[in-house]
Amino acid sequence: MFFTSDEFLTVAAALNTGFVKTLQLFFVTLIGALPLGLIISFGSMSRFTPLRFLTKALVWVIRGTPLILQIIIIYYVPGIMKLFTWGGGETGRFTAVSVAFIINYAFYFSEIYRGGIQGVPIGQQEAGEVLGMTPSQIFFKVKLLQMVKRIVPPMSNEVITLVKDTSLARVIALQEVIWMGESFMKGNQGYAGLIWPLFFTAVYYLIFSGIVTVLLTMLEKKLEFFR
Amino acid sequence: MKKRIALAAALMMALSLAACGGSKEETTAAQTEAAQTEAAETEAAQAESEAAEETEAAAESDLAYVKDKGTLVVGITNFEPMDYPDADGNWIGFDADMANAFAESLGVTAEFIEINWDYKVMELDGQNIDCVWNGMTINDEVKAAMEVSEPYCENAQVLVVPAEKAAEFEGLTDLSGLNVAVESGSAGEDAALALGAATVPVQTQADTLMEVAAGTSDAAVIDLLMAGAMVGEGTSYEDLTFVLNLNEAQGLPSEEYGVGFRKGSDLAEAFNEFYAEKVSDGTVLEIATTYGLQDAVILE
Repeated sequence: MFFTSDEFLTVAAALNTGFVKTLQLFFVTLIGALPLGLIISFGSMSRFTPLRFLTKALVWVIRGTPLILQIIIIYYVPGIMKLFTWGGGETGRFTAVSVAFIINYAFYFSEIYRGGIQGVPIGQQEAGEVLGMTPSQIFFKVKLLQMVKRIVPPMSNEVITLVKDTSLARVIALQEVIWMGESFMKGNQGYAGLIWPLFFTAVYYLIFSGIVTVLLTMLEKKLEFFR
Repeated sequence: MKKRIALAAALMMALSLAACGGSKEETTAAQTEAAQTEAAETEAAQAESEAAEETEAAAESDLAYVKDKGTLVVGITNFEPMDYPDADGNWIGFDADMANAFAESLGVTAEFIEINWDYKVMELDGQNIDCVWNGMTINDEVKAAMEVSEPYCENAQVLVVPAEKAAEFEGLTDLSGLNVAVESGSAGEDAALALGAATVPVQTQADTLMEVAAGTSDAAVIDLLMAGAMVGEGTSYEDLTFVLNLNEAQGLPSEEYGVGFRKGSDLAEAFNEFYAEKVSDGTVLEIATTYGLQDAVILE
């Protein structure tokens, strides 16, 4: 039986440790990028022109260059410029990759937040004013709340993309699940020349993105009370 | 209100920028501190960022830098029989065992870290690792970018083909008209080009085999040592075999493996002395025999 063979168990164990890395990167990125994105969106909506231009320029740079390149730059350039090193070990690599992912995703999220906030009809603000709410009450209790509902579908898109983008981290040798899958092609723990582990990583991605999709759909349903 | 939000946002942006710049300030602070401690002789353990900051001095003595931090970080890939993990996850292999012995001779511990082979020079220059020790073929590019040790092992490039077509390739001295998969930037790529093949550069040696197995390339060129481990019985590539030594086909001597250190590093010299000593006391041959490399290892 293949699924109880030593080969399968060895590969599965390696893929599991790889997928734990994938999940860590996924959650760290979300935890960092969700709030940072909101802050950046305030920057790109600011009435203070220099700040708005600066933010928009940054959005252009971060969205306009490949994430894989940003990872390489963030990990290697500080060391080469003799500024600081992230450390050669797994921890240093994970930190650098996390920083790259958080920055990249925060800028994408910021545009989604901006669309959500600006999409709330002006009538909502006027209604708040009529009811005598203070501007900060209007922002936090009316606009921000309605923004959340609006951004769930586009956010879901980005989150699912993030599940798969984590695989880019292997460019600086972070040993996530695809790295682990590939390792058996070259030779790992006595198994060499195996192709199936690489293809088998798809199962991990499919299961995880399935779970994420279900959760996000539930969230969307919960927010339906606004209608 | 909007103004207040803008202000808060501006403040937070500034803060996050400051946070990004923080480590930089830290290092400049560390630099001045380093200058002070320099006068008052060196203190034992110094912060990592500070160590990186001292590169100017380290360029003079990489050996001192490694001894000072107490670890020799060895950049590797998982490559049997040179560097690969045993059942307990410890790195073993001819290169790994030698690296441990070398680190011991320096009075430091060896730390192994898997790297992306394409970025080995960046890893060295960025001080993420201290040496590349993974069956690295010595060629002009490698010599230009790194301080390479004396050669310690011999290798050749071989042509991998589907087993049922093996007879067609026997005794070839010319690969023109063939699509040959090679690892991008490898010694195998140079060899295939020299013999007139149309090359298909892919990311790893393992990928080249997938090209042949899938029929998208006629043949692949990889290291002899690796071909032995990856092709034939008991692998996913049972239908492949290797037929041709490209070094012989070109009338060239076989290739040699060396250890790569940072450009200008005095660690290379330290390694050469260490290696000569271990050859004369028989340790090298003993370790090589453990991994079946007794014929490939250079003992002189």
